[in-house]
Amino acid sequence: MITNTVSIRYLKTIGIVNNGSNGRGFANPYDVAIGPEGNIFVLNRCDPARRNAIRVGVCNINEEYLYEFGYGFGDGDGQMMLPVAMAFDAKGRLLITDEHTNRITIYSDEGEVLGKWGHKGESEGEFNGPAGIATDSSGTVYICDQRNHRVQKYTADGGFLAQWGSQGTGEGEFNLPWGLGLDSENNVYIADWRNDRVQKFDSNGHYLKTIGDSEVKEEHLVRPSAVSIDGNGNIYVADWGNERVQVFNSEGEVIASLKGEATLSDWAKDFFESNPDEMETREISDLNPDVPDHLNNPYHISSQTEPFFWGPVSVNIDSDNRLYVVESNRHRIQVYEIE
Amino acid sequence: MSQDASLMAHLMRRAGFGATRNELEECLSDGYKTTVDKLLNPGESNHMPDDLIRRYHVDQSELRQLDGAGAYWLYRMVTTSNPLEEKLALFWHGLFATGYAKLNQARALLNQIDMFRQYGFGSFRDLLVELSKDPAMILWLDNNENHKEAINENFGRELLELFSMGIGNYSEDDIKECAKAFTGWTLKNAEYMSVRASKDSIWPYGRIAWHYEYRANDHDSGEKKFLGEVGNFNGEDIVDIIATQEPTARFLSTRLFQYFASDEVGDDGNQVIKAMMDSYFESGFKVSAVLRTLFNSDYFKSEKCRYSRVKGPVESVVGTARLAGSYQEPTLDVHFLWAQTMFMGQGLLAPPTVEGWHEGVEWIDSGSLVERINFAAKELSDPTKYGVQDIIRRVTSGYRDFIQPENLVDSCLDFMGPIQVGADTREGLIEFAESQGDLQLKNGKTDAGGSAQVARLIGMIASTREYQLA
Repeated sequence: MITNTVSIRYLKTIGIVNNGSNGRGFANPYDVAIGPEGNIFVLNRCDPARRNAIRVGVCNINEEYLYEFGYGFGDGDGQMMLPVAMAFDAKGRLLITDEHTNRITIYSDEGEVLGKWGHKGESEGEFNGPAGIATDSSGTVYICDQRNHRVQKYTADGGFLAQWGSQGTGEGEFNLPWGLGLDSENNVYIADWRNDRVQKFDSNGHYLKTIGDSEVKEEHLVRPSAVSIDGNGNIYVADWGNERVQVFNSEGEVIASLKGEATLSDWAKDFFESNPDEMETREISDLNPDVPDHLNNPYHISSQTEPFFWGPVSVNIDSDNRLYVVESNRHRIQVYEIE
Repeated sequence: MSQDASLMAHLMRRAGFGATRNELEECLSDGYKTTVDKLLNPGESNHMPDDLIRRYHVDQSELRQLDGAGAYWLYRMVTTSNPLEEKLALFWHGLFATGYAKLNQARALLNQIDMFRQYGFGSFRDLLVELSKDPAMILWLDNNENHKEAINENFGRELLELFSMGIGNYSEDDIKECAKAFTGWTLKNAEYMSVRASKDSIWPYGRIAWHYEYRANDHDSGEKKFLGEVGNFNGEDIVDIIATQEPTARFLSTRLFQYFASDEVGDDGNQVIKAMMDSYFESGFKVSAVLRTLFNSDYFKSEKCRYSRVKGPVESVVGTARLAGSYQEPTLDVHFLWAQTMFMGQGLLAPPTVEGWHEGVEWIDSGSLVERINFAAKELSDPTKYGVQDIIRRVTSGYRDFIQPENLVDSCLDFMGPIQVGADTREGLIEFAESQGDLQLKNGKTDAGGSAQVARLIGMIASTREYQLA
């Protein structure tokens, strides 16, 4: 079914910057995954100053911070260095990619380390910068192998199944692919990051379609980082270089565009209750300013406009049709309802 | 070592961060004058792309903190095809020293550096106007507190004393009138941003970057008397007057001379400064014209000028990284590169005061010297680095079976610069090379042990006194 419209309503913002090593808040979040119980798992990539506290934080849609787990910065069991993306598999296990250790680690939803696979290389079953990850209902795992410019397909426990792609700009070729999404028919959508497009393949890697390489500005993607598909086959792309989320129908036509409209999360409200001097001056401020010409590009505009997406690295849709947009630079998640 | 190569290496040490042999050969084929022109008219820079940096380094995408921001600029310096553009931005950063400690806003500092790139070669008048509108400078020198009803003289004073004319060339009244002219020059959401900066608040959603705002209702539009002229001056009018002053030309020319030519100014140096001042006025205050006069002067090209400056820590770190071929792609621990500049006494984006750093021999004390030597020796004694491998290839080219220590030393000195060293230094290096024996080759190539042997010598050269001089 091809849809020409979609109704997307802003719901709320979850998050606050966490400057410490644990507790409520996020530290450069890079992805979310929705757990079997509906909880929101947030991957904190963490900057160098906080990397020893690299972790997954767990909260729910009501903004209750539930728990967290992590094993520190490093390449030991359970540890992470530059984690990129995560996905729950059919057994309710959480898989996390790490582009520095070239490894996929499997955790329980409580954070227990259940397994791992991968090491650096360019042969079958090896990685050079694993990034986006998704699993289908049978447990098959798809991973973007960034610096090998390919997609790899594995069994649930890391048994190599197939691969496709090589470096280039043609159909079925990639340049540093990042995010990866599956639709209900297990077609595979790749955020072909440095080719400024999304490519669609069937589950065996046969090329089907390209999205976002249009000359039309509204349809033209710049460095897309993530892709997620709703039940109607509409394609949500984190248009990272444009600091926006573009929604395409299955034909590749833009049917909606989001630039972000963040409000204060409950955690942010708590902060301002304790810091009324900041709230007083905030209330007389214009947080949607006109930015001067020399700063008039998406990155600078977002850096100066608090409600806008800034560093939208990930988009995910849950079973209740909620869209989660993760902003690495703003340490928060903007949640939308797809109606 | 040819005289041409030696002179070109000197130019590239001063107008850049030193040259690899590939870069030097390209410059030599252009010739000195064309190279100067190219340095002064750089065009679009080739450097590590922002998207790659931002994807890999979350801290350099957000640019919330000092170390990430410093590393971000260092990537640019290490990989740029326009070395003078960065070297000049570094000069302005030292002259118009604005620091993280008070601002707690790294993005604003980097925006200021971008402004230096954009205006740094052009009219000094335009640069001073942009500086006066720069949000980081406004907050750094409290111009957001400079109001029509209650002036704050801080920016007005430093504009005259530290940024343009120098003390003794204006009166206290001129400072007050200058401050009045800059009332209303502030930043957007100044009240909120000021509270956040003073509390180092990153909450709730990280930093919000700044931009300039003019508040007409907070500007004193009354008559002012400044440096003998009378009018309803606004800030730009004040800068117009400053730019035409002889002390301004002398101040700028002297500072550029000390940064690019020689720490000390003698009689012959004063003659060059006079010629630079003439260029300043003849060109309509153009910095590039002033620099062209300097680089083409006999004094600058003379033996006397060479190795007469102590490399600043950032120059030293960047030059070494460029020579070694390090940090050419996103590297996990690049923020440690920034930390090196801090350990050596020049924390990038963190000058100690508005006066900037004390340069020249003051860069060197026993602690910072150890840091310098350790860093340079470690980088350049690593045979896995691309730049070191290139030096090794060139050093061994033309030999088949072995290279004697003396030849090895001279060849390494040549391909690392050329670097000119004193007789004592050369003797010490030969002694070190002799302790390792002849360099054995197989069909003109080194094995792993041989490469390590050359790399150790390269590291030793990086430890010499001469390597610390530009």
